[in-house]
Amino acid sequence: MSTATVETTKSWGGGKSPFNVEYGKLMMWYFLMSDAFTFGAFLISYGTIRFSTNGWPDPNEVFRSFPFAPEGVHAPLVFVSVMTFILIVSSVTMVLAVKAGQEMDKKAVVKYMIWTIIGGIAFLSCQAWEWNHLHHEGAWWGRNPFLNADGTASSTNFTNYFFTITGFHGFHVFSGVIINIIMLIMTLLDKFEQRGHYLMIEKAGLYWHFVDLVWVFVFTCFYLI
Amino acid sequence: MSHTAQHEESHGAGEVKKVTIILSVLTIIELILGFWMMDIHNVGMRLAIKGSIVILMMAKAFYIVAYFMHLKHELKNLIMTIVVPLGLFIWFIIAFLYDGNSFRNLRNTYDPYFKERATIKVEKKEEGHGEAAHEAVADTTAHASDTAAVENKH
Amino acid sequence: MSHEAVLHGDAHGHDDHGHHEHHDTFLTKYVFSQDHKMIAKQFLITGMVWAVLGGLMSVLFRLQLGYPDSTFPFLEDLLGKWAKGGRISPEAYYALVTTHGTVLVFFVLTAGLSGTFANFLIPLQVGARDMASPFMNMLSYWFFFAASIVMLSSMFVETGPFSGGWTAYPPLSALGDASPGSKTGMDLWIVSMALFVVSSLLGGLNYIATILNMRTKGMSMTRLPLTIWALFFTAVLGVLSFPVLFSGFILLIFDRNFGTSFYLSDIFVNGVGALPNEGGSAILYQHLFWFLGHPEVYIILLPAMGMVSEILSINSRKPIFGYMAMIGSLFAIAILAFLVWAHHMFVTGLNPFLGSVFVLLTLLIAVPSAIKVFNWLTTLWRGNIRFTPAMMFAIGFVSLFISGGLTGIWLGNSALDIHLHDTYFVIAHFHIVMGVASMFGMFAGIYHWFPKMYGKQLNNTLGYIHFWVTIAGAYLIFWPMHYEGLAGMPRRYYDFSIWESFKQFGELNKFISLVSMIVFMVQLLFLFNFFYSIFKGRKLTNQNPWNANTLEWTAPINPGHGNWVGEIPEVHRWAYDYGKDGVDFIPQTTPVGADESQH
Repeated sequence: MSTATVETTKSWGGGKSPFNVEYGKLMMWYFLMSDAFTFGAFLISYGTIRFSTNGWPDPNEVFRSFPFAPEGVHAPLVFVSVMTFILIVSSVTMVLAVKAGQEMDKKAVVKYMIWTIIGGIAFLSCQAWEWNHLHHEGAWWGRNPFLNADGTASSTNFTNYFFTITGFHGFHVFSGVIINIIMLIMTLLDKFEQRGHYLMIEKAGLYWHFVDLVWVFVFTCFYLI
Repeated sequence: MSHTAQHEESHGAGEVKKVTIILSVLTIIELILGFWMMDIHNVGMRLAIKGSIVILMMAKAFYIVAYFMHLKHELKNLIMTIVVPLGLFIWFIIAFLYDGNSFRNLRNTYDPYFKERATIKVEKKEEGHGEAAHEAVADTTAHASDTAAVENKH
Repeated sequence: MSHEAVLHGDAHGHDDHGHHEHHDTFLTKYVFSQDHKMIAKQFLITGMVWAVLGGLMSVLFRLQLGYPDSTFPFLEDLLGKWAKGGRISPEAYYALVTTHGTVLVFFVLTAGLSGTFANFLIPLQVGARDMASPFMNMLSYWFFFAASIVMLSSMFVETGPFSGGWTAYPPLSALGDASPGSKTGMDLWIVSMALFVVSSLLGGLNYIATILNMRTKGMSMTRLPLTIWALFFTAVLGVLSFPVLFSGFILLIFDRNFGTSFYLSDIFVNGVGALPNEGGSAILYQHLFWFLGHPEVYIILLPAMGMVSEILSINSRKPIFGYMAMIGSLFAIAILAFLVWAHHMFVTGLNPFLGSVFVLLTLLIAVPSAIKVFNWLTTLWRGNIRFTPAMMFAIGFVSLFISGGLTGIWLGNSALDIHLHDTYFVIAHFHIVMGVASMFGMFAGIYHWFPKMYGKQLNNTLGYIHFWVTIAGAYLIFWPMHYEGLAGMPRRYYDFSIWESFKQFGELNKFISLVSMIVFMVQLLFLFNFFYSIFKGRKLTNQNPWNANTLEWTAPINPGHGNWVGEIPEVHRWAYDYGKDGVDFIPQTTPVGADESQH
C-alpha cells in the first residue's frame, strides 16, 4: 500500500460519490436489488413446487377470458398481452417524464406523469377484473377448480402461487401509482423547480421500471410456460 | 446543467423509441411462441420453446434495466455492484429447482399415494367449477388402485 | 445548483451542525433522535435488555436440564401456570428455548451488535457528519423497537409464545392447532420478525450508501479501517438475504390464515384425520429459511471480526497483518455465505448429490476463515501487547472462533452430520463459534469504544473479572456438550433422565447448569459496570485514550450532532501506521512526511 500520494482526484478517493449518483438514488438501486430477491424467492418457490409436483394446469386453459367477450369464446393469452403492453407503455411514458425532468421541462413532466399514472391504474383495473373473473370460476387461495394439463386433479398450489405473486406484484403497482401521484403533486407545487432538480422523479422512475421488470418475469412464469 | 443531464442528451428520444420497439417485438415473438406451443405436445419440443421464451424474457429484462432504468449509462462500478450480486441467483435457482425435482422423484419412488394421485384422470365436466372437480376426485378414488396398476404397466 | 451539491445534498446539509448547537428538546435528543450516535446507544441498550432476558431464559431452561427431578417453588411465583409445582412445564420449556434462540440471534447479535456498531462507527470512522439519511436511520431503530414490543407481548398471551424452535419449521409453525405456541404466539412472532426485516433493510441500505458516498476527502476504500469493511459486507448480506426470509414468512402467513398449502402436504392428525392440504413441501420452507439463515450467521460474525481486527492491531501496536487479505477473505466469506445454506438440511431428505456440492462449498469457507485467523495471530506476533479488557475479549474471540470453527468442519461433512445432526454437538458448535464468539466481539467493542460513546472510562478490574469468568465459563459450558453430542444426546429434549443411555450425563448437565448461572451473574456485573460508568465513571481527559489512528478519536470527547467542530478532517494514510519508523502511532489525519518509508 502506498501512502506517498494523496489521490483525491480519483473518484474512490473519498470526498465525492464514486458512482457519480446521489445517495438517494444509490439507496433506491440497492432497495430494488433487495426487492428483486423478494420476488426472486417467490418465483423460485413457485418453480420448486412446480418441479416437485407431478402435474400442472395448462395456463392456456385457465387464462382464456376477455372482458365483454361472449360466453364460450376462448382467447388465451390475449388479455394478458394487453396488460403487458399497458405496463410497457406506461414504462415508456415514465422514461419520457424522467427525461423531461432532466431538461427541467415542468409541463412535459406533468403530462407524462399523468399518462404513467393512467397506465398504472389501467393495469390495476385489468388485474382486478381478472381476479374477479377467476374468483367467479371458483379459484382463490386454497381453492383450485382447474385440472392438470393431463386431466388429473391439481393441487391448490397453482392458484395459491398465482394469487400470492400477482397480488404482491399488484401491491407494488399500487404503491408505485401512489408514489407517482405524490410526485405529480410535488411537480405541480413547483417543489422540484425550487430544488433545481427532478431527482425524485428519477427515483420514482426506477421503482416504476422495476415494477414493469417484475411483470416481465411474472408474465412469463405464469402465462407462457 | 448537471453532468448526468448532458449524458442524457446524447442518448436522446431516439433510444427510447428504439427500445420501445425492441420490447414490443420481443413480446410479440413470445406471444407467437406461446400460441404455437398450444398445439405441440412433444415434451422435448415444448421444453425447447419454453427455453427460448425464457431467453427472450432475459433479453427484455436486459433492455428494461439497461435503457429504461438507465443502468447502461451509469459508471461501470455501479453496474458491477448491481450485476455481481444478481449472480447469486444462478445457484439460488439451480439448487432450489434441483432439490424440488429430487423431492418429486423421491415421493414418486417411496410414496405410493403421491404417485397414485398423479395417475387418476378426473373426468372433464362443466369447466371451471370447483366442486365439480372435487366430486370427480371422489368418484375416481374408488377405482384408484386399478387405474394406478394399469398406468404402471405402460 | 451544481452537480456536486446535488450529489452531497445531505452531507453538506449537516455542515452547519458543527458551528452552532441545535436546541434539542428531550424528545428529539434522546427519543426520536436522528443523531447516529444516539441511535447506536438506543440499539445497544435495547440489545442489552434483550440479552438479559434471553440469558435469563437460558438459565431457566438449564435449571430444568440440570435438575430435572427437583422443584423450585420460586419458579411458580415467576412463571405461574407455566411452572406448576415449581417445575417448568414442557410447553414452557420449548417456549423458553425458542424465544432464547430468536431473541439472541436476531435482537441481540444482529440488531444489538451490528445495529450498534454500524451506527456508531460508520460515520465517525469514514469521516461523515451523520448517516446518508438520518431519518431512515431513526426509522430503522423504531421498527426494531416495534419488533421488540411485539415479541415481548407474545410472551404474555394466553397460549404462550411460539415454541417450535427459532427456525420456525412448518408444520409446527404453519398449523395453528399443532401446539399451544403455534396459535397467537406464532402470529406475533411472524409480525415481530417482519418488522425486524424492515428495520434491518432500512439500516443496511443506509450503511451501504454512507460507506460508498459519504467518505471524507482522502478516505479511499483501501484506507478504510477493517471495521468499516466488515460492517459493509454485513450490510450487503442483510440487504440480500433478509428479503428471502420475508417472502418465506409471507407464504407462511398464507398457510396459517388463508388455507393455502405452500409448506403443507399429507398431514394426518390424530382424531382429526387427513388435512386437506396437498402438494406443498416443508423442505421448501427450510430452503427459504436457511437462504437467510446461513448469511445471518455471518451477519452476526462479521462485525465482530472487523472490530477484533481493529482492536488487535491497536493494542499490539503493530499494523494489521495482511490488510488486503483481510478484505479479500471478508469478501470471500460474504459470497460463500450465500452458497452453503443447505448444509443445515443434510438429513431432511435433501438430494444427496446436491448435498455433496453443499459439502464442498461449505468446506471452502475454512480457507478465508483460516486466512483471517492466521492474520490475527501474526498481528499479535512480537507485538507490544497492551492487555486492556477490550484486547482480552478480542483475543478470546480468536480463541473461540478457532475452537468453534474446527467443529464446523465436522458438521460440514454430510456423512458425519447424519450422526451429529440435532445433537448437543451442534449446540456446542454454534454457540462457541457464533454465539459466544460474537458476544466477545461485542464486549470487545463496548470496552474499546465506551470512552467515545460516553466520554467516561469503564472500570478495568471489573472488566478483567468479567473476561476471565466469561471465557472460562464459555468453555466449561460448551466443551462438555461436544461429548454429550458425540454420545448422541439430542437437542431440544425436555428431560434426559428417563433414558438409560443419557443418565451418565446427569452430573455433567448439573455442572453445566451451575456454570451457566455463574456466567449469567457475571454479565450482571458487567451491566453494573456499564451503567455505573455512564454516570460515575472516570472522566476522559485525553481525546485519544488508546493512542489509535482512526478518525473517531480526532473528534471531541463528547461530539455533538455533526461529530467534528469545524471542517471534517482530511485523511492521508491508512488506519494502521503503528510503530512505523519508530513512531508509536500516526493518526490517519497526519500528512505523509517526505522521508517516510513505504510499506
